[in-house]
Amino acid sequence: MPNLLVCYKWTLDERDIKINPNDLSLDSSRAKGKISDFDRMAIEEATQIVEKQGGAVDALSYGTPTVKQSLKDVLSRGPNKAYYIGDASAEHADANVIAKVLAGAVRKLGKYDVILLGEGSSDSFNQQTGARLAALLDLPVVTFVQEMTIEGDTVKATRKLADCTEAVTVKTPAVVQVLSTINKPRIPSMKQVLGASKKPNQELKIADLGLKAEDLVPKSTRKSVKGFVMSRKNVIYKESNAADNVAKLVASLAKEGLR
Amino acid sequence: MAGVFVFSEDSAIGKQLLTPALELKKSLGQPLVALATREADAKEYATLGADRVIVLKSEASPEVLAPAIANLVAKEQASVVLIGGTLRGKHVASYIAAKLDAPMTTDAKTLTIADGKLETTRVLYAGLAVAEELSSLPAVATVPARTFLPPAAAATAGKIESVEVTPDTRAVVSNVTPIASEGVDITTASRLVSVGRGFRKKEDLKLADDLAAALKGEVSCSRGVAEDDHWLPIERYIGISGQTVKPEIYFAVGLSGQVQHMVGCRESKFIFAVNNDEHAPIFEAADYGIVGDLYEVLPLLTAALKN
Amino acid sequence: MSYAFTEEQLLIKQNALEFAKEYLDPIAMELDHSAKFPAEIVKKMVAQDLLGLFLPGEYGGAEAGFVAFIEVIEALSGSSASVAAILLNHAIAAYAIEHWGTKEQKDNYLPALVKGEKLGALAIYENGPMLGVGPDTLVAEKKPEGYVLNGVKAFVRNAGVAGVYVVLATTDPTSNGKTLTAFLVDAKASGLKVGAAKESMGLRGCPMADLTFENVIVPESAVLGAVDGGLALATDTLAVFSLGEAAETVGIGQAAVEHAAAYSKTRVQFGKPISTLQAIQTLLAEVATDAHVARLALYDAAGLFEEGKPFQTEAAMVKAFLARFGSKMLLDTVQIEGGFGYSEFMPLPRLFRDIAGTTLLEAPAEYPDKTIAAALLA
Repeated sequence: MPNLLVCYKWTLDERDIKINPNDLSLDSSRAKGKISDFDRMAIEEATQIVEKQGGAVDALSYGTPTVKQSLKDVLSRGPNKAYYIGDASAEHADANVIAKVLAGAVRKLGKYDVILLGEGSSDSFNQQTGARLAALLDLPVVTFVQEMTIEGDTVKATRKLADCTEAVTVKTPAVVQVLSTINKPRIPSMKQVLGASKKPNQELKIADLGLKAEDLVPKSTRKSVKGFVMSRKNVIYKESNAADNVAKLVASLAKEGLR
Repeated sequence: MAGVFVFSEDSAIGKQLLTPALELKKSLGQPLVALATREADAKEYATLGADRVIVLKSEASPEVLAPAIANLVAKEQASVVLIGGTLRGKHVASYIAAKLDAPMTTDAKTLTIADGKLETTRVLYAGLAVAEELSSLPAVATVPARTFLPPAAAATAGKIESVEVTPDTRAVVSNVTPIASEGVDITTASRLVSVGRGFRKKEDLKLADDLAAALKGEVSCSRGVAEDDHWLPIERYIGISGQTVKPEIYFAVGLSGQVQHMVGCRESKFIFAVNNDEHAPIFEAADYGIVGDLYEVLPLLTAALKN
Repeated sequence: MSYAFTEEQLLIKQNALEFAKEYLDPIAMELDHSAKFPAEIVKKMVAQDLLGLFLPGEYGGAEAGFVAFIEVIEALSGSSASVAAILLNHAIAAYAIEHWGTKEQKDNYLPALVKGEKLGALAIYENGPMLGVGPDTLVAEKKPEGYVLNGVKAFVRNAGVAGVYVVLATTDPTSNGKTLTAFLVDAKASGLKVGAAKESMGLRGCPMADLTFENVIVPESAVLGAVDGGLALATDTLAVFSLGEAAETVGIGQAAVEHAAAYSKTRVQFGKPISTLQAIQTLLAEVATDAHVARLALYDAAGLFEEGKPFQTEAAMVKAFLARFGSKMLLDTVQIEGGFGYSEFMPLPRLFRDIAGTTLLEAPAEYPDKTIAAALLA
């Protein structure tokens, strides 16, 4: 009956972000919030484990006060309780700050057998939080996991790396960072959505997490963000005769010094 | 604080990292220290510009050595730690960053020192945008493979030393199973013919093979061809969850050019396309293209190139 | 007066859109061409609690409210209006039982309908006479054993896959439609025959056929609502149905305008994308505006219904508006896409055929204009 914690991030849906053609700046005004896609797999994994073996899943998120919009969403996906830290510091927090805040929350919340996280967030995809959290909490960590089981106090995980798979065993408590291929998250049913409001959620104040003021100061700041726009020659040959098009393309290859 | 540190469990990447590290060393006026797990690699690093090379005496996997490496760079008061951007590297780098209470940039494409800080550029929002960031020192960064070329041989060789390192025994690694590889590494090909769902049968990929041969390149594909049709192995597919390539020529055939695919090849020097749908997004991303039936165009093109 | 959706309603819509994208997008075209009933999709909808979405919890329903149901129909329709039509016809039949049924009837049928063990269907139309005008050919003769039904009901959606039919029959064939009575007829009833599948222009994945009744005996307890109260039941049920239909129309129209907009950016003529042309922009603007205005009116009416307030006039307004502008949404978007809009390998022809069905079928027994005028002139 494992006690699990899933950390998730409430992000802007990058599909709604538009690039301003004039100056390549990003327009997020129409972007809605969403639970980071990769976190869904972590939430699903924890939920499935608990459905099979009993236990409980708590969810935890650190974000700006808009993170409250994520609560019913996350609770409709299986967790029993959601904790959140909604603080302005999240606006500019870098991965270092995020990990320290989450670590502070975990120390306050008590013992979990396994802390699960997604591979990275859909906005910045730093892929750092799992290992950082483990380092701060002095816990063993298994990263890039595509399969896992929890048997008593033992976590058995299979990692998928570029050129091999690796079986790793750790004792709980431990941190596990899962790959998006670990499972296919189910779409919450209507009853799960309606049942979310009956589940508890609790705010954690950042001042109560035992952090120093300088812990919340980001050491990495954004100098600029520009939309990526492909700017290519776009020379397209559309003659009705394929041989003509081929001749022109071959000439282009020669012109670019590629023949 | 002293030292620009470099580490990758993959020595090919380790050597590539020396190039940006040498620039940082110049800007900061601090020694370049390379960490290696094998003597042979250490010798190479020493000839390519590392002032010091520290051999970590352990057969354990890099993740298991992460706490020990973190202690080492902390003791050395490293200013910058560059780690090869493999998955293993990202694990190690994140661990180190936490222990150093340092900022970390994942998949940095450029690295310079500006106003005493590490300035980096990297991709955001699944490829939608590029961010320039400034990180106070000490800073950690992972750099993707093949972002840089290894440096030329240095005038003087660096000093090699070795240290005992204590592996973290809490994670027990067993059963390392290599993923069967086909042998072709499309990430190193300078010319690629990339196939999409415009091909009707697996046998028709021969047209792409012939074109690739005429171009002296390899064949790659979009996600569907590998994951859904299984006409080509997974390591040949290019896209946001597949490989990223930067060949001289990327020749997309019968491939529509969706964003999730293009993010894996958009840094190619030249992009060519053949597609019978003139509205296919690939044409917006191409330097040169032909609107036409690939079954007609490819044989003609291959023949023309052979002449 | 608040048009803000609740968090639950927003999540329900988000989930419905994901469901549509994942399960309906890949099969919508094939379903339209084959007209083969998508049993697997229905199973998946059951798993999402869609079949009893706005039905009471005591029968296993999700009690999500009618507005959430409309959101789901709209979301599904953007991908496959056929699948939405299957769900809509089922849900409204279930509504009729929930609203008009005795406790025994509700206990007998609703749990199975909510679980999708049985699908529901409405058998209320005829080949000849219009609803409520008569004389209906399906006659219910009172006998000691109950009622004996003889005749034919036409245009029955979900025919052949339903487990229970809400059937309108007349007890007096000479009465010109004033003595309609609704009956609950089990699909397995002896003498009930499902006719050959009837092909329709659109919504082709939603089965349709005639039902023939040959001495079908139903007990007195099968009467739904009051004897001779069938027309009132049908009018009320169809008013609710019309909101679901409007949701289908808006969902289809929205999908069409988004498709046409994306298309117009890539279609280059005279050296520029056609999206830069005023004529194209006007068409896009009109369609997008009509869909937006219709949607607002739809959710207003759905909200009134959910709150138990009078809604029939507002529902008639939505119906009247879409009767005028619904098909125009597809006429305009097909126009934008030109040859591609007319090609069956693109989605618009199917959307065109589907929307023609959602705007013209299931009119309330009184034409919408009459209903609206009656409210003004009262």
